[in-house]
Amino acid sequence: MTKTTGVVGRRAFIGGMAAGAAITGFPHIAGAQAKAIRIGLPTILSGRVAILGTSSRAAVQLATQQVNDAGGIAGRRIEIVDRDSKGRPDEAARVTRDLINNDGCEIVIDGEASSGAFAVHEVVRDLGVLCLHTCSETSSLSADPKLFVKTAFRCARQGIHDAVAGGTYASEISKAKGLKKWATCSPDYAYGRDNTAEFVEYVKLFDPQIEVVDQLWPKLFAPDYTESITKMLQVKPQAVYSALWGGDLVAFIEQSNLYRLFANTAFFSGGLGDPPVLSAIKQLPPGLNTAYRYNRNYPANPENTAYADGFVKIAGHESTNWGWQNYLATQFIFEALRRTGGKTDGGALAAEIKGMTVKSGFGVDGNITMRESDHTIINYPVAWGRTVPKAPWVEGFQAVEWAKILELEQQWKKSKGYA
Amino acid sequence: MMRPGLARDAAVCAAGLALLLVLPLAFPQPALRDFLIYVMAYGLLAMSLNLLVGLTGLVSFGHAAYFASGAYMFGLLMQSGRVSIPVAIVATVAGTALIALVIGAICVRLKEIYFSFITLAFQMFIHSIILTWVSLTGGDQGLMGGIPRPPFLGINLNEGTALYGFCAAVFVACVLLMRQVWMSPFGYALRLIRDNPSRANFVGIDVVRAKLGIFVFAGAMASVAGVLLALFVSGAYPEFGFWTTSGEAIFMIMLGGSQLFVGPLVGAFLLQLLNRTVTIYTEHHGLVLGLVILLIVLGLRQGVGAFLFERLARRRQARR
Repeated sequence: MTKTTGVVGRRAFIGGMAAGAAITGFPHIAGAQAKAIRIGLPTILSGRVAILGTSSRAAVQLATQQVNDAGGIAGRRIEIVDRDSKGRPDEAARVTRDLINNDGCEIVIDGEASSGAFAVHEVVRDLGVLCLHTCSETSSLSADPKLFVKTAFRCARQGIHDAVAGGTYASEISKAKGLKKWATCSPDYAYGRDNTAEFVEYVKLFDPQIEVVDQLWPKLFAPDYTESITKMLQVKPQAVYSALWGGDLVAFIEQSNLYRLFANTAFFSGGLGDPPVLSAIKQLPPGLNTAYRYNRNYPANPENTAYADGFVKIAGHESTNWGWQNYLATQFIFEALRRTGGKTDGGALAAEIKGMTVKSGFGVDGNITMRESDHTIINYPVAWGRTVPKAPWVEGFQAVEWAKILELEQQWKKSKGYA
Repeated sequence: MMRPGLARDAAVCAAGLALLLVLPLAFPQPALRDFLIYVMAYGLLAMSLNLLVGLTGLVSFGHAAYFASGAYMFGLLMQSGRVSIPVAIVATVAGTALIALVIGAICVRLKEIYFSFITLAFQMFIHSIILTWVSLTGGDQGLMGGIPRPPFLGINLNEGTALYGFCAAVFVACVLLMRQVWMSPFGYALRLIRDNPSRANFVGIDVVRAKLGIFVFAGAMASVAGVLLALFVSGAYPEFGFWTTSGEAIFMIMLGGSQLFVGPLVGAFLLQLLNRTVTIYTEHHGLVLGLVILLIVLGLRQGVGAFLFERLARRRQARR
């Protein structure tokens, strides 16, 4: 870093500029080993959604530790280089380029939220390295053929899969309990509106008697939801769907508790299933319906438990949805590297990953596949459960058949002109 | 008529361009090219804003609107597949100038804080349009699908070196143009408006028209900065038009010095350098950046560029 002192002579100035040029011109190789395979992780490590990045990083670190302890891949150790994009897409593009061009990363795990993921996607198109998007849930990233990039894959859940599963689960409850009057309360930005629209579309498809009596759109990161809650109480819905997430959802539920919103209203949430969110709620009401994001008891198998314990050791808290997705991404990458004998060429690795099925504790039947046609994962847990006030916070997960999800996904793709 | 000093400025710019083009040959790592493109894009944004802040005394909080307008217009034109890059750039600059003309015609009639706030209001209006017109702009996901860079006149901007060279040439041309305005009689009229608008009025300067002229010109230059960044990141994002981007540009001006023509460029260089290095080592970059800037502001009491320039001038004087 160029240091500015009180008196700057010409030599000092030239020296400073040279140092600056050196910093910008030469790779940052702190602790690098010549033979290590470097994986870049651009993600959000600061600000309100920093947990997205910190939990992504913890999961990748866990997987890297495990593979390095086992001797690395083809004699090469794995190194992770993370960078904070601050949640800005242009910054995400910049740090990704830096990771590849400056830090010598040969593979990218893109731990960016959606807008950043699209920016990283374009960098990958330019530079041709292997990239796995691990946090973007926007379906078009992999569904839209116009956006297709040969070396880019999505290793994350996606909106359309969740919408079909949510619609199926919620409609079964609405039919059983006669919940016909629905309201929604979701953040006022593209994800909130799209996610809500898709949920409503599918829940009405499966239960056409449902009527949405009110839709409320509080601002993203709003600290106070009392206005939305009191409006909802006025229309007396029998059920509420919310696409709120993170700290916003914690605030919404705690404020709703004060108004006893959940006493007579069924609540469905797409974002409540992250253990750190659930544990942050002081009085978690029982019986709230939530989509699976992550749970150490689901799928119930030793691999998942081992992952959950390993993650807690590194991060100090339970895993998030982003955590398992990043861990899974490393499984795809490591397997591809094994198959190529440690060769990191983007095209060669992509050829291995497309269509690859890996054994995974997160898979519905112990396997998760990277679908060849659109480079996205399928067969991951898409289930809904109900909250309980203590850990593990969500129980009674009900899975939705992947065959049904895939059939409706295909119809959705046709309606959007993607298939 | 040729302005005295124009030849010297043109020579300095030519030397600057030569240096920019030679640097990647000396340091072939693509990271240096990437870094310099960011400095050029944000430097151009800050320098164009300084035509309002430093030269005219108009503190605009909404300048990033034109930066975003440049990025989006250019991106959309290129995605349409109907125009070449030079045509898209010209159309983008003209389109942004038109937007700046409409907004400026309202804003420049206001003074001081009222001017600042109305520019901020227009910026938020444009930002809201970007967010809500999802079918055109992609909403908060940004302009998706990449920005095509079809070859023109034998130049292929898909190639890293060519893209860098093109950005450097456009940047230097814009700097020369802004320098021409900075040193022209029109520039001196703007200084008079900044220091004493009543006097400027008395001597026959149409204050509103002059302010509007520089507002439109600064907006057009900011749009070129947006084009450069859009070309480089192959996308356009709503953050380009958010108030924080305007704030960053003001920050660059303060860091480099508002009364020195290249001050904002020095500020852009320092801010990008700090941002880049601090982000590598810590997630608490906001804290570190704040401390460094606090030290600069308290220690130098002026922009770094202005400080260095003053020191050099004093040394030269002492030698005589």
